[in-house]
Amino acid sequence: MKRIGMLLATGFLWATTVLADPPPGYPFVGYDAGLAAARASGKPIFLYFGRYGCAWCDHTNKQTFSDAALKQLYTKNYTLVYVDAESGKRLTLPSGERITEAELGVRLQAFATPLFVYLTPQGDKIMQIPGFKTVQDFRDYDRYVRGGHYKQETLLEFLGGKS
Amino acid sequence: MLLLALLASSAHAAWEWSAPLTVNSVRSAAIFPHLESANRRGVAVSGGTVAVVWEDNRDGSPQCYLATKPAAAAAFQMEIRLSQGDCYEPVVAALGDGRFVAAWEEAGTAHARLLPGGAVLKLSDAEAAQVTLAAAGERIYAAWAEQTGRFRRIVVARLALEGDALSVKTRRPVEAKKPADEQGWPALATKGDGSVTVAWEDRRNHHTVPMVSTSRDGRRFARPARLTDQASGASAEGLGAGTGAMRPTLTAWGGQGVVAVWLDKRDFLSGYDVYAALDGGTRRFGKNIRVQDSFGDNMVQWHAAVVGDAGGRLLALWDDARDGTPDVWLSEWDGKAFGDDVAVPAASGLGAQSDPVGTLDAAGSLHVVWLDHDEKAGTRVRYARAVRK
Repeated sequence: MKRIGMLLATGFLWATTVLADPPPGYPFVGYDAGLAAARASGKPIFLYFGRYGCAWCDHTNKQTFSDAALKQLYTKNYTLVYVDAESGKRLTLPSGERITEAELGVRLQAFATPLFVYLTPQGDKIMQIPGFKTVQDFRDYDRYVRGGHYKQETLLEFLGGKS
Repeated sequence: MLLLALLASSAHAAWEWSAPLTVNSVRSAAIFPHLESANRRGVAVSGGTVAVVWEDNRDGSPQCYLATKPAAAAAFQMEIRLSQGDCYEPVVAALGDGRFVAAWEEAGTAHARLLPGGAVLKLSDAEAAQVTLAAAGERIYAAWAEQTGRFRRIVVARLALEGDALSVKTRRPVEAKKPADEQGWPALATKGDGSVTVAWEDRRNHHTVPMVSTSRDGRRFARPARLTDQASGASAEGLGAGTGAMRPTLTAWGGQGVVAVWLDKRDFLSGYDVYAALDGGTRRFGKNIRVQDSFGDNMVQWHAAVVGDAGGRLLALWDDARDGTPDVWLSEWDGKAFGDDVAVPAASGLGAQSDPVGTLDAAGSLHVVWLDHDEKAGTRVRYARAVRK
């Protein structure tokens, strides 16, 4: 009976997490832990700003982040941070200011979720991308960020010049 | 609807604003004041005294502060520190005769204190956060989000005041059963008959839904109902669980009424909008009403708060950046709808002004407090009073 209870509990956890949390199997962490890890590793930060129950987050998780090669690319090369757009959980910005996860949406002027933010290992924003994106989109963003192209040109300029 | 129209008899006159004052005495680029709190109750007026509470990190850790001034005074007195340990999201409520009760989260649980003087009262032995208050006469209620197993749930306490001694008279969860998912950010409104309405964010439907319950005495609560008239459920494509809505605020209104205002993302392409629902005294909230006008449609709204009084005055405050930078906006209920959005003069224009909190005093004057951001000089907590022209 206890085992059945545990299975039910596990099933419940799964049911809640697939609705609009980070895509399953990715090592997303909270903002503060992610910032510390990025500083230590020197990896850029990929911040997924999602909302509990968000349909487009669910769509992106299923259509895009289910791609095994993309998962490997982002897991290997980024510090993965997940922030809940409506959460009162606290985080500390690089400036030292303490705000809630929801308040981070104010600072980002987040219109919609999902919102994807690329940051340097020190926490400085490189760019933010709203809405559903494909596997190829995320591969392009990766080349733009890790290739350092953002230092010389805009994303649009970079994408316009790709072969 | 006739009752709602009568309650708005004074809603058309314009406001005349005082020169703004700075509330916080210490500021620098490394000090970050915050006015965030459950139900956005950061200012109160009692017996001609204005009280403002906020949190900042001037002492190297987040601490909660309170500053007061006689309504007619030209400046706030030096603030006092309310907390000893890490402190978050303070609120203040008026008790009359110049007395207040403040509450805040400290060391992981909820605390309250009568002011001036008064000892600190620990409201809960459990882990608790997002405490808020409502008072009508000597009737004082507090609510907070309390850890219960994996999730937090909403607990409402009735506080007793004997002399300068504040104590917990009753303490009840809104629902006896353990929460199925996270609950938080409670808002309270209490009326002259001693009844209390509580609203909160609730994730039992796998997305954030403002819910509401009522009690005649704080002991037994009605079955929770949704504030939003947006149904939960996946999209037509079977995705997600529903649109988001958050940070409900409540005010008692017009003697028997209660009004709720919250941030609502039902139009997901324009960010959060400000929505309201009115209960004219039936303990049932009516249909959802969009608060901000069409000029704010394509702009995300933040930090919405409702302000009302027993005289039937009702307005909503929030901030948005429709004019290029964040400004504080105000919209008043005219009996049928919320009127045109009006920028609060001292809290708009160049720079960023945000995070409004407000209250109406016994004479109907409006007191508004907000943050005026300056990355180099440091953020100011600002205050202005408005009277009817």
